[in-house]
Amino acid sequence: MLKLHNLTRVYRTEDVETLALNNVNIEIAQGEFVAIMGPSGCGKSTLLNTIGMLDSPSSGEYWFNDENIAGYSEAQLASIRKRNIGFIFQNFNLIDELTVEENIELALLYHNIPSAERKAKVAEVMDKVGIAHRAKHMPSQLSGGQQQRVAVARAVVGEQKMILADEPTGNLDSVHGEEVMEMLQALNKEGTTIVMVTHSPAHADYAKRTINLFDGSVVTENVRAA
Amino acid sequence: MFKNYLIIAWRNIVKNGVFSAINIFGLAVGLMSCILIMLFVREETGYDDWIKDKDRLVRMHTAVNIPNQPAFLTVRSAGRMMEAIRDYATNEVETGMRLIQWGTTVQHNGEGFAEQITMVDNSFFNVFALPFLHGDIESSFNKPMDLVITEEMATKYFGRTNVLGETISFCCLGGNPITLKVTGVLKDLPDATHLDANFIIYLNPAMFGENDNVLNTWSSLNVYTYFKMREGISVEQLQDRINYWLNNESPMVNMLKERLGDAANGLQVTDTFQLNVMSVPDLHLNAKNDAGNMGDLTPMGDQNMINTFVVVALLILVIACINFMNLSTAKASKRAKEVAMRKVLGASRTQVAFQFLSEAVALVFIALLFALAATEIVLPFYNEIIGKNLQLMLFSDPYLLVSLCLVATAVGIGAGLYPALYLSKYLPGHILKASKSSESQSSAKLRTGLVVGQFATSIILVISTIVVYSQTLYSTSVDVGYQYDNKLVLNIRATGDNLDSLKQELLNLPQVTDVAFSSESPTQDNENNNYFSLVEPNQQGEKLEPLLLNYHHMDYGFFESYGVNLLAGRFFDKNYGTDAITQLPEGHEGMGKASVILNRAAVTKLGFTDVEQIIGKTLVLNDHELTVIGVIPDIHFRSIKFGIRASAFLLDENRFRVANIAFQSNDVSGLMDDIHRIWKQQVPLQPMNLQFLSEMMAAQYRDETTTAQLLLVFSALAILVSCLGLYGLSAFTVERRTKEIGLRKVMGANVSQIVKLLIWQFSKPVALANLIAWPIAMYAMNSWLEEFPYRIEQWYLLPICLLVGLLSLSIAWLTVGGNAARVARKNPVHALRYE
Ligand SMILES: Nc1ncnc2c1ncn2[C@@H]1O[C@H](COP(=O)(O)OP(=O)(O)OP(=O)(O)O)[C@@H](O)[C@H]1O
Ligand SMILES: [Mg+2]
Repeated sequence: MLKLHNLTRVYRTEDVETLALNNVNIEIAQGEFVAIMGPSGCGKSTLLNTIGMLDSPSSGEYWFNDENIAGYSEAQLASIRKRNIGFIFQNFNLIDELTVEENIELALLYHNIPSAERKAKVAEVMDKVGIAHRAKHMPSQLSGGQQQRVAVARAVVGEQKMILADEPTGNLDSVHGEEVMEMLQALNKEGTTIVMVTHSPAHADYAKRTINLFDGSVVTENVRAA
Repeated sequence: MFKNYLIIAWRNIVKNGVFSAINIFGLAVGLMSCILIMLFVREETGYDDWIKDKDRLVRMHTAVNIPNQPAFLTVRSAGRMMEAIRDYATNEVETGMRLIQWGTTVQHNGEGFAEQITMVDNSFFNVFALPFLHGDIESSFNKPMDLVITEEMATKYFGRTNVLGETISFCCLGGNPITLKVTGVLKDLPDATHLDANFIIYLNPAMFGENDNVLNTWSSLNVYTYFKMREGISVEQLQDRINYWLNNESPMVNMLKERLGDAANGLQVTDTFQLNVMSVPDLHLNAKNDAGNMGDLTPMGDQNMINTFVVVALLILVIACINFMNLSTAKASKRAKEVAMRKVLGASRTQVAFQFLSEAVALVFIALLFALAATEIVLPFYNEIIGKNLQLMLFSDPYLLVSLCLVATAVGIGAGLYPALYLSKYLPGHILKASKSSESQSSAKLRTGLVVGQFATSIILVISTIVVYSQTLYSTSVDVGYQYDNKLVLNIRATGDNLDSLKQELLNLPQVTDVAFSSESPTQDNENNNYFSLVEPNQQGEKLEPLLLNYHHMDYGFFESYGVNLLAGRFFDKNYGTDAITQLPEGHEGMGKASVILNRAAVTKLGFTDVEQIIGKTLVLNDHELTVIGVIPDIHFRSIKFGIRASAFLLDENRFRVANIAFQSNDVSGLMDDIHRIWKQQVPLQPMNLQFLSEMMAAQYRDETTTAQLLLVFSALAILVSCLGLYGLSAFTVERRTKEIGLRKVMGANVSQIVKLLIWQFSKPVALANLIAWPIAMYAMNSWLEEFPYRIEQWYLLPICLLVGLLSLSIAWLTVGGNAARVARKNPVHALRYE
């Protein structure tokens, strides 16, 4: 599904140059569940953002569905992104001024889908993540676990083929963390590709493959026996 | 999609209550100012637009420019000009028409009503195609003394509109009472017209008799002359033709030679005498330039005032827009997460920008609703100030509705565009990574710049307001050279033979101390000018050509009653028996004799430096030799706006038109009642016209007072909106710096140090705004003041600027101080846990 070839990302500030990703080569196939691990500051988020096209590589190639998108413009990236990729963040990133329902619907808003159909899809996905009874609530009225479930719902409502999750359980207690992991696993079983950054080895175990980063480079890749 | 925008816009408005209130209030005030000024401007600029073929109609004004003398301007012209030009410029002129406006009294059911009558040539309705309600041009206006009245007058006097054949009695026309039959009824004219035509009478030249200086004259300027141009002829073409006629074919060519003798060589008529045509739709706003200090048929508009207020309205709107821009960009970090999330979910920059733009427009439309409500509430007061009858007819006036919506949309885009571009710029990755976006230095700078601009604008407005007000106060307090308190002016045009008994009855009232007649009272001015020739050589030993002097007629005791000083000689005195001008009997040989009093300016103009020297000299006016018996100072007989003229004061009883009544009384209304009672006995069937001189004096400055009052209101609004913006911005800054302030307190800073820190931060832009505003305001106000011959001293501007500077800083401190103190007093632990 995607392939990174000699991909490098350099951050330049006034006097410091940080090599956040250094010659990374990764291939991820359709339907995989990949965990990315590594110490703080090793470039996990940078990698995930690059895969998610929120950030562009400084050099190297990024093949997405047989297209090298490394030099694409903002607008081109946005158009590929919205059709293919859903995001889940550690801090949920729900919009405080919108209800649960409206937050999820937001993911369909920029896809030219008629209102009635949008409503149906949102209802369906809310059922799926078990948040339907909170449809009219504001994010601030929900627990962290519930908020993350809304974020998951938002990530999948557009039937995205791939979900990128940056420490989705980082802000959750273990019970809610497990819940979210179960949900991701279920999605993966239905065929969604999942790439997840995590610090928790237990949660990394849900994945079929773990990529270990250190100082911007891939050090090991473990594939878990099925 | 749009619904989603509206939802989030609405929730943001509600959630950020203070910010939204500031924005909506500011925009509403801006829009209200805009609506009020728009209503005014629309009425003022729309005068006479309703008249059919308006672009082919012109009126001819007269200007006399004699070298070394102030120009004499009037919108009237001489009675013989119309016919001469109409018959000469046949290629340009389709028809011409003269109009004479007189005040008269309609006597109806034993009561008198003051009305204006309009006597016109029979071509009136060919020029002004006013619509008839009853009758038509052919049947209603085909013989002398036909009378066409308006619907309003028909209803006033007869209670119905179809009054053809009814009669109306006037007293008087040309000195005689007359009863005329109504031959036509017109639909009422709109408010927005320069015409004041309620009683239109078919002009009968015979009415003016033998000594006709109204119609049969080349020099007396008593009629309004209109032309209807042929199709396709421009005002300039007609003007060229008239100029050619004046310089080559008109009787003025010989008159110039006769008057100036050899001095006329090389001069064209138009060098000293002009007839200027002006398009009728332009009259209301531009006639002022041609009118000198005489009026027009109706009060004239003022293009300068309109321009000023259009600018003021725009400035207030801009200030409100700046509030919106500042507060939105200041708040931007709060919505950065939303923007990023939308972009992650696939929104393009255009879509995000459009969202914010529609939020801005929605906000402006909410503000517009408030503005319309506020306009309805303040409109009566506004009408009072500007002396108009404006109405907000939103639904019957689609043009207004549409233009308001356009204005609101434009304001929304103007205010929202920058924030929209600014907010939509955030890259999604950038924000999601860092939990809080740090504010860019440049946007904070821009905000400060905008605050400076806002305050500079408000400060300029406030300085201007104070200067205009001071000048108006100054104008009314200048020593005019006579006492105008405790004086009543009674119009005596209609009294006829009863003058003496009227005076006696008035003097019998215990409150009345003195009654003096005159041709005009102070503030009244009919531009009476004539040529006076000095018989003896002047102080330089020169023999002078006749000189143009302004003149008035005053009764014995007039100057004494007004407390005017005497510089030399004496006032008029009945005991000498030689002061008054008398009508010379038929066939009288030689000159009549009488006396004249001059003002200082006239003495100077006649070539005397020592006022004593001119006493006893002789001036010839028409058929009288006038001995100079006295000299008075340059009293401001008319508004000080117009400066001093060289004036002569004569005494001819036949020219008396007003009684100047001096009184001592605490019961003014009782006095008015007494005078009214006497008037009813002495002059039955005539309405009484009695005014306080002090009020007439104040009325001279009505335009300036109106401008000053409006400026005061609008600049107060501008300051208010600016301060609201500053308040919002300081509230935001304080909120954003809560953590920093907490840290400072932990490090040992006390409340007052922190308040000082914040106040200083907000004083800098206000101080800078002052430095920018002062020179601009001083320059603008200096050139404004230059129009006034008597004006406040230039250095006054400096203390005014300093005062306004101090004022603006204290307002800024008050605005910011509350916010600063509130956060400075907070427990630092609380503040630090915040993040
Ligand atoms: N916008 C930026 N500008 C400069 N340097 C950056 C920027 N974002 C990240 N970095 C640097 O790049 C490196 C990788 O950062 P990244 O956020 O990818 O780490 P991470 O592995 O996600 O860490 P964590 O586990 O703490 O989230 C770090 O050294 C970080 O300081
Ligand atoms: Mg990270």
